[in-house]
Amino acid sequence: MTMDVRFELLMPEFLVAGLAFLVFTLDFFIRPVRKDILAWVSAAGLAVIIAFTVPYLLNEHDSLFDGLYRVDSYALFFKVLSMGIGIAVILGSLHFVNQRLTHPGEYYAIIIVSVLAMMMMAASGELLTAYLSLELLSFCLYILSGFALQDRRSNEASVKYVLLGAFSSGLLLYGIVLLYGALGTTHFAEMATALEGAGSVEGRLLVGLALVVAGLGFKLAAVPFHMWAPDVYQGAPMPITAYIAVGSKAAAFALVLRLFYEGLAPAYDQWQMLIAGMAALTMIFGNVVAIVQTNVKRMLAYSSVGQVGFLLMGIAALSPLASNGLMVHLVGYSLTNFAVFFAITAFYNATGKDDIPDFAGLAGRSPFLAAAITIGLFSLAGLPFLAGFVTKFYLFSAAAAEDLLWLAGVAMFASLISLYYYLQLIRQMYIEKAPEDEGGSVAVATPAVLTAVIGAMALGVVLLGVYPDPVMAAIEDATASLLGTDNAWITLGAAGQ
Amino acid sequence: MELYHVELLSAALFAIGVYGVLARRNAVMVLMAVELMLNAATINAVAYAAFLDPGRLVGQVITVFIITVAAAEVGLAMAIILRLYRVRATANVDEADEMKG
Repeated sequence: MTMDVRFELLMPEFLVAGLAFLVFTLDFFIRPVRKDILAWVSAAGLAVIIAFTVPYLLNEHDSLFDGLYRVDSYALFFKVLSMGIGIAVILGSLHFVNQRLTHPGEYYAIIIVSVLAMMMMAASGELLTAYLSLELLSFCLYILSGFALQDRRSNEASVKYVLLGAFSSGLLLYGIVLLYGALGTTHFAEMATALEGAGSVEGRLLVGLALVVAGLGFKLAAVPFHMWAPDVYQGAPMPITAYIAVGSKAAAFALVLRLFYEGLAPAYDQWQMLIAGMAALTMIFGNVVAIVQTNVKRMLAYSSVGQVGFLLMGIAALSPLASNGLMVHLVGYSLTNFAVFFAITAFYNATGKDDIPDFAGLAGRSPFLAAAITIGLFSLAGLPFLAGFVTKFYLFSAAAAEDLLWLAGVAMFASLISLYYYLQLIRQMYIEKAPEDEGGSVAVATPAVLTAVIGAMALGVVLLGVYPDPVMAAIEDATASLLGTDNAWITLGAAGQ
Repeated sequence: MELYHVELLSAALFAIGVYGVLARRNAVMVLMAVELMLNAATINAVAYAAFLDPGRLVGQVITVFIITVAAAEVGLAMAIILRLYRVRATANVDEADEMKG
């Protein structure tokens, strides 16, 4: 066992942690009316770290601490994605925080800590490291979802989140320990070797696998482990809802993708149908239940449960194409959901309402917000020229290529269902008349920063839809480093295509 | 003492924990049941390290980290539950039901 660790490769993580402490400390010295500075320091800091990280870690491939922690293109991709998500959330919540939350210093610093956790999740190459970074992310999200201290719903959301989150991490941990008992190791790469060597599958392994899937299913909000999602989404402060929908899913999928592709690939026969079934159930259930929702946050919560179903297809298909599809869908999903959620946040900032009928006549009151929401919803439904179409195309065709044609069919059907309830919101905005009373026809003012963030996200949705090549190049690089040359299991499977 | 004795103990503890989470309505009790689940994992980790993987410290390291994470989790969850109690004068999770659908 060699232990000459190249600590300098951890520089991005150190910098993000340092930035979090800088924001915590600056908070003491800044007068309450000028707390905006903290948001700008946080966002600019993350932007500088991205600009530093990309050239610094490009083409670096190392595994630190004897395989506990990976530095590769895959981790780099998710590091940049996590920090980008962090910047978007910080800038998108600026006005919401000013208007409705106290303790902005802690708010921004905790977001930065959770970005660090997301970066670590994508980089961990071992179960305990993965578990610890997952818990760090969860702890940050528990706090953030209850951040509106005076709001009873926010409090209720965080209680439900923390109790179900603790329960799910109990399941996950018991599963991890069972896998350790069955395979004698917690390293992903060694797990794959042990699985290949194991002649028969013993009970410990099966129970452990089931519990790990259940525990991670909770974190991903996959049916039947999704019950916390609607309540937490509805109760949490609006930008945090966006953050939970996008950030926690991106990071959890980064972890799940590496675990299943690197560690559990040889036990493919044991878990493929489990994951595929979960994916089908999740996309159908999420999209069907979303139809009857009247609160827009709840509707988007079920819609994002449905999206998790699509993303799980990328795990079930287990091929380089599926890994590409999953990652590009995550990017598209992040941009799209941010565009929609921040547009709704802008509406909520101005009116304090978030039920679907409240959006009646929004096209007349704020054409910009209505257009942004429409672009986002059409992209989620997968209409052409928008990100959702391209990313779903990659993902569905990857699943179809791996003998999961039925699953791709279910996914197409679920997308059709989703178009129905997205169109209902769009109908409210463009066809229904704004209520005459209670100032319903007053224009909705959007602050410049929020306008810029929404505009950037909507532009990203369109750009990814018409010209995905640069993103795809980075993703193919990431997949190549994830599968590596020594992962014969998947590489051979792909060669047969 | 055989390995399966310890595994049975741990499985029983885990089952009691899961039952507690599902059956208890008081948030503090739910949290205590979660602790049982984590402790069941701890027992297993130590047993596997001793019986199956002697000479390496993986199981012990897992245990130390579980204890730390559990402590942090309880601290955080208690703060959030205390907030629930301040707002609603109850720690019963069934009474926190303003959001449905």
